[in-house]
Amino acid sequence: MKKFIILIFTLFIIFSCKNDPHHLVRIEGKLIPISEELNPKEVFETTIEPYKVKVEAEMNAVLSFTPNELNRLDGKLESSLGNLMADLCYEKADPVFNSRTSKNIDFTMLNFGGIRAGISKGDITMEHAFNLMPFENELVVVELTTDKLYELINYLITENRAHPISKHLNLEITKNGYNLKINNQPIEASKTYYVLTSDYLQNGGDNMIFFKNPVNLYKTDYKVRNAIIDYFKENDTIKVNLDGRFRSEI
Amino acid sequence: MKRRNFIQKSTAATAFLTLGGLSLESFSSNNTKHITILHTNDTHSHIEPFPSNHSRYANKGGVARRATLVERIRKENPNTLLLDAGDIFQGTPYFNFYGGELEFKLMSMLKYDAVTIGNHDFDNGVGGLYAQLPHAKFDFISSNYDFKNTILDTHTKPYKVFIKDGIKIGIFGVGIKLKGLVSEKNYKETKYLNPIEIAQDMSRILKDEEHCDLIICLSHLGYHYAPERQEIGDLELASKTKDIDLIIGGHTHTFLPKPTVTKNSEGENVLVNQVGCYGINVGRIDFYFDNDKNKASKGKSIIV
Repeated sequence: MKKFIILIFTLFIIFSCKNDPHHLVRIEGKLIPISEELNPKEVFETTIEPYKVKVEAEMNAVLSFTPNELNRLDGKLESSLGNLMADLCYEKADPVFNSRTSKNIDFTMLNFGGIRAGISKGDITMEHAFNLMPFENELVVVELTTDKLYELINYLITENRAHPISKHLNLEITKNGYNLKINNQPIEASKTYYVLTSDYLQNGGDNMIFFKNPVNLYKTDYKVRNAIIDYFKENDTIKVNLDGRFRSEI
Repeated sequence: MKRRNFIQKSTAATAFLTLGGLSLESFSSNNTKHITILHTNDTHSHIEPFPSNHSRYANKGGVARRATLVERIRKENPNTLLLDAGDIFQGTPYFNFYGGELEFKLMSMLKYDAVTIGNHDFDNGVGGLYAQLPHAKFDFISSNYDFKNTILDTHTKPYKVFIKDGIKIGIFGVGIKLKGLVSEKNYKETKYLNPIEIAQDMSRILKDEEHCDLIICLSHLGYHYAPERQEIGDLELASKTKDIDLIIGGHTHTFLPKPTVTKNSEGENVLVNQVGCYGINVGRIDFYFDNDKNKASKGKSIIV
């Protein structure tokens, strides 16, 4: 019986609450900037500190040395840093690709916008590698028909900027058109070409639509940044030149 | 026996009335309730403030400062929820070296209540996210990613109902299409479901079955896209759903100076907010409830 009474009370309380519900009457919204006026909470800073010390030590690790400043603006259709990026990606990824497919990559093509920072003359640190490539993009090899290859060449000519390409591609814009050689050979219409690029560009990034739907797509599982770090670690001094791989006579 | 039963029943009835009187009085008195929602999005592993020589965000952001703000607001109103709309991972070496451990630890210390999953939270794969879950003392709410065939199965919730000061707050989460944006080897067999259909389902469940007073959508869809891109943004989501009070967005790193007020499928107001990225700002939305019928009948006012 006591239980019965409690039940009645409970039901009544629920019922009376339902009869008198709360309604949303006012909403206020605003943006609060996180600025210097807010003092940092100490327990958070002490939690961060050991992580910070280790990250800073890793980022300051010296990987290599460059006698010259490397940037993406020191040529018109090529650049020191662009040539370095394209060539080192080829050098690191081609053995991986070859071991899996018994084929070789024909050339590398990346994008100008993907070179995120320059490297000053002197020591090259881990931080430089992270600044140069802050994203997790991976290297992929796309197998292109000659039709798609010509689309790629037209893109380079139309864009008229120093998108990084490796030394294996030689392109000269002339008054009447262009001269093109890949590994010192003219284009063979019946052949397909293996182009190394990033998964970002393969997905149509920077409007490189010729990389979408290739004959075959091969993943390397190799991050662009890791290729950069590995190359720097293996080469104590970086040598790179502008060699006219992509140039214009007009 | 029967008589005794009757007496007891009548006693019960008396007590009933007395209590009824009391409770009617307490419920009918002017009673305002206040819920505060704090939110971030796209913090992208930005643990420390930007350096003083940074070109765009000099001296802005920083988790330790955010903690001071959140603590201050919680003291002011204990009925506060702290939420995040995804892309917690990726952007500084803290993520590259520790895989999100520090981000989750600090968010747990900040007492985040719930987050949804952004595309960059897949950057170390579903396995990489799973590996950091022990550091996260908050809920992962995702309604339109089906993780059944992945290691994340059972580790996310399609929605959650929080009760603060008697107000029921229903929260669900929607994420962006992963194909083309995230490498397949990272999202594995995660299935992406249409966010509009899922949002319609979720808002119905939260309204009709869970009887929520407030419905919030945590979204990592992005604020708005040009029609030719055929992508679903928060403004479109708002226009094709009903009963949602607030959409907390992310992905497009949109710095809204104040929340956008837009209309839902029934012509009612919905708030859409997004506070940029990198922990530079925190969004604050205050909801006031009243049980005074006269006030309630006037509808809700929105001050932004």
